[in-house]
Amino acid sequence: MESSSRFEPKIIAFCCNWCSYAGADLAGGMRLKYSANIIPIRVMCSARVSPHFIIRAFQEGADGVLVAGCHIGDCHYLKGNYIAIKRVAILRDLIDFLGISKERLRLEWIAGSEGDKYARVADEFTEKVRSLGPSPIKRIPFREKAVAMVR
Amino acid sequence: MNRLARELVHRMEALKNKVNELLESGGIAGFLGLRNFGTEPFPFLFTRDTAAEVDKITTGAVRYPLSKILIRIAAVYPDAIFGIMCRACDERAIIELCKNSKLRSDKVITIGISCTDDLVQACKCENPQPSNLVSGEAGKKEFDRSDVQKIASMTLEQRFDFWTEQLGKCIKCYGCRNICPVCFCDVCTLEDQPLVKRGEIPPELPSFHLTRAYHMAGRCVDCGLCEEACPVDIPLRTLYRRVRESVKELLDYLPGEERDKVPPIQVLGDGLFEIRD
Repeated sequence: MESSSRFEPKIIAFCCNWCSYAGADLAGGMRLKYSANIIPIRVMCSARVSPHFIIRAFQEGADGVLVAGCHIGDCHYLKGNYIAIKRVAILRDLIDFLGISKERLRLEWIAGSEGDKYARVADEFTEKVRSLGPSPIKRIPFREKAVAMVR
Repeated sequence: MNRLARELVHRMEALKNKVNELLESGGIAGFLGLRNFGTEPFPFLFTRDTAAEVDKITTGAVRYPLSKILIRIAAVYPDAIFGIMCRACDERAIIELCKNSKLRSDKVITIGISCTDDLVQACKCENPQPSNLVSGEAGKKEFDRSDVQKIASMTLEQRFDFWTEQLGKCIKCYGCRNICPVCFCDVCTLEDQPLVKRGEIPPELPSFHLTRAYHMAGRCVDCGLCEEACPVDIPLRTLYRRVRESVKELLDYLPGEERDKVPPIQVLGDGLFEIRD
């Protein structure tokens, strides 16, 4: 057993219904062992993941966000993942400029048959985020500070 | 009268003549510009009925997002052609507004005025030359992106602390949104209750500004009005400038500069389907 003081990141994974969620399901069906830090949220398409979702996830204390969708060309809605790729790319640049590492936001294409890839990405990403440490947003004492200023 | 004042009078004459000419010929139904009320310039719609007021026309020493007013006027009179006084930044905004179906490019006649060298310098303007220049001379370029570079060269932690301190000053006045020439939505996500709680300042850091910055992707024309309007001096322009740059780097699109290119963020998929009708 590793030491219990090890930082356990909280990672939100937005998985598209048709590929990535099925992939996650397959990983379970294959009895693959993967990081329990990943919290999957099923969405109908990776294009359903509005940048607001990602921003909100970080704001509520997520240490990492994974957006997973079908491979390019395989989207159930034909072009949804093209939208996701543009959004995530811009948002990655933006959070990096604000001082939240771009490594905390990751986009992966995981097909329904790729249970092993889901498990691998979950492990890799958890390790990556663990090495980055807790999200800096969690250390903003802004509410307390604002209240103190008013007083 | 010194040379500068003479030059200014000359510029104003050129503008007045052009406006009068267009109004008389019926080329435009109205001209949206600035008019002096006392000593202060205010936005004013010059029409044929108020042609006598054209004498009081002014370019103003400061900038004003007239295109925002034009959206409202154009919504009421969709078939009328309007002229609008525009600096280079206004013109970039108008190009973006046309692409977003808020204005129709065949219903807007831009009447370009040049910015004074002082203004160009103060704005660090990337491209101070409107295409349809009626009054004044084309200004010199004064592009300077040292502000972005300065922040980009910091470490992640320094950057985060810098922005936390800056954005923590926010009093959520919505001034940046209200003055932004390319912010045109009827319903603003920044007033959406589940996302932004009412009556709390500062707003949640950094999600409030992160959301707004994301919305500037593919839209921001780098006019800098947001930063001018900000009562607590948050370097918003630097933030949005970075968004503008990343859209250029990633998607090869510079908002306001490319008339014929469809904004990549509006394109659904790889370009075969467009959201626009």
